[in-house]
Amino acid sequence: MKRSTDLDREGSLGKSMKEKIKQFIVTEILKDPQRALADDEALISSGLIDSFSLVDLALYIEDTFGVRVEDTDLSAAVFDTISELITFIEKSK
Amino acid sequence: MDLIQILIFITISVLIGFLARGRWRSWAILGISSLALFWLQPASAIRHLDFWFPTLAMFLTALTWIAVRPRGQAISREDLYTFGGMTAIPILISLLRNLDRAFLITATRPPQPVGVLFAALLAGVILVILVRASKQNLLLTRLAVLLILGLFIVLKSDSLGQNLSRGLRSWTQQPAELASALDLSWLGFSYIAFRLLHTLRDAQTGKLPELSLRAFAGYVLFFPALTAGPIDRVERFQKDLGQAGRLSAEEAIAGGTRIVVGVFKKFVLADGLALIALNNSNAAQVQSSAWLWVITYAFSLRLYFDFSGYTDVAIGMAQIAGVRLPENFDRPYTRLNITAFWNSWHITLAQWFRTYFFNPLTRALRRGRIRPPAPVVIFVTQVSTMVLIGLWHGIAWNFLLWGLWHGVGLFIHNRWVNFQRANPDFLPRPLQKARAMNILSGLLTFHFVTLGWIWFVIRDVEQAWATFARLFGG
Repeated sequence: MKRSTDLDREGSLGKSMKEKIKQFIVTEILKDPQRALADDEALISSGLIDSFSLVDLALYIEDTFGVRVEDTDLSAAVFDTISELITFIEKSK
Repeated sequence: MDLIQILIFITISVLIGFLARGRWRSWAILGISSLALFWLQPASAIRHLDFWFPTLAMFLTALTWIAVRPRGQAISREDLYTFGGMTAIPILISLLRNLDRAFLITATRPPQPVGVLFAALLAGVILVILVRASKQNLLLTRLAVLLILGLFIVLKSDSLGQNLSRGLRSWTQQPAELASALDLSWLGFSYIAFRLLHTLRDAQTGKLPELSLRAFAGYVLFFPALTAGPIDRVERFQKDLGQAGRLSAEEAIAGGTRIVVGVFKKFVLADGLALIALNNSNAAQVQSSAWLWVITYAFSLRLYFDFSGYTDVAIGMAQIAGVRLPENFDRPYTRLNITAFWNSWHITLAQWFRTYFFNPLTRALRRGRIRPPAPVVIFVTQVSTMVLIGLWHGIAWNFLLWGLWHGVGLFIHNRWVNFQRANPDFLPRPLQKARAMNILSGLLTFHFVTLGWIWFVIRDVEQAWATFARLFGG
């Protein structure tokens, strides 16, 4: 699996937090870089991101944005969409 | 809970919702929940065990609260009152032991007050020592986790349970040759244990909010969710209770409707289906393959109506008392794949295992020194999680196989999704979107789950195999 640094080298450096997260989800999890992801699209409750990929997403967020994502935070009740995830990261900083 | 008990609890919930406000609501919930522990506990063949199990549940709750408190914090006056109240309840129950049976709250006559007073004194000494020790001793949360897990293993294992029963019987001078794990049915322990473990783990990671003993014990022992969950989270429960106002007509109607639906599901549909549903004894007797399918379907539906009916009653009752418990079922048998099924069946248990077992294990395997490939990690984590959920129902081969069935099912589905993502045109596009495809997926998922229940219901593995063989005409 590509680590965050690889992604950065490929040109995501300087992109906004939202774009970075979207890029990680569509390339690493959904394996479909062309897929458009809406800000309010349900990610967890819809089954788009499974439990395993959710942990990978948490590790990516920790590496890239320097915030700690606890195991208790990995649920649709805490964040289910990109917008909610951004709010969550901002609050955790 | 039977119908009479449900009616009484509804009345109590309405009174709490209407009359008790603020901290009084929290006191009322703790008081009623403590009494409910004793009232709902079924009789045991071991003398006075139906008194000691609820007492021990209260002791474990107090002990865990001490373990999860912020270090070095003094115990407030209110906490002392709560300790006093929680100690007074078992003592009062034992003092009333000579009343007419109709007035007894426990299933059998409680023990002599002298013994209970001695036990209360002993419990008090242990708790005081722990409060003092907890100022320096960070090991306390770990010891509490081990104690709860140890109790869990003994109570869920037939052979260990039988040994414990034998030991208890020699203590009560009852015939040891009649010892059985069935003597140890401790009402609500599984759910209480999960709530306690959640608070202990969160305290270890510093995520647990500060809680009074009253709030903490009210959460752990909350009477609507005592017998069959759901497993709430303490911070959510507290927030709800803090905001609860006087019971409104809308809340009462919504809660009441939920209870009526639950009662219908449990006492009409589930109990009706139980008359023909697959069980340990009829599995061996039924020879016709067609009828065996019928009773297997009946079991599958019965289990859903029974469990989700109970949950509806719990959620409705809690809503009337001012707490919105989390949902536990979301039309699980209409799901199109096994992953979606597990996101909608016993949701709070699955979420608990995800939070406290699956996520940390996945994290460790992804970050460890040896990093296995993703499919290996997915196989190990999914199978081990489902096997543990299986063993939670009882430490026996049949539950292990049931967990394995679902773990492997989840893994296969995960790989299929991954394969489809890598090969989006493997199935022709029109077929992917066809309604018939959805119906087929739904039927496949329902049958996978329904066949899986055979492991669940038939304790003897050979007999379960034979049932499978007969279902498929063997």
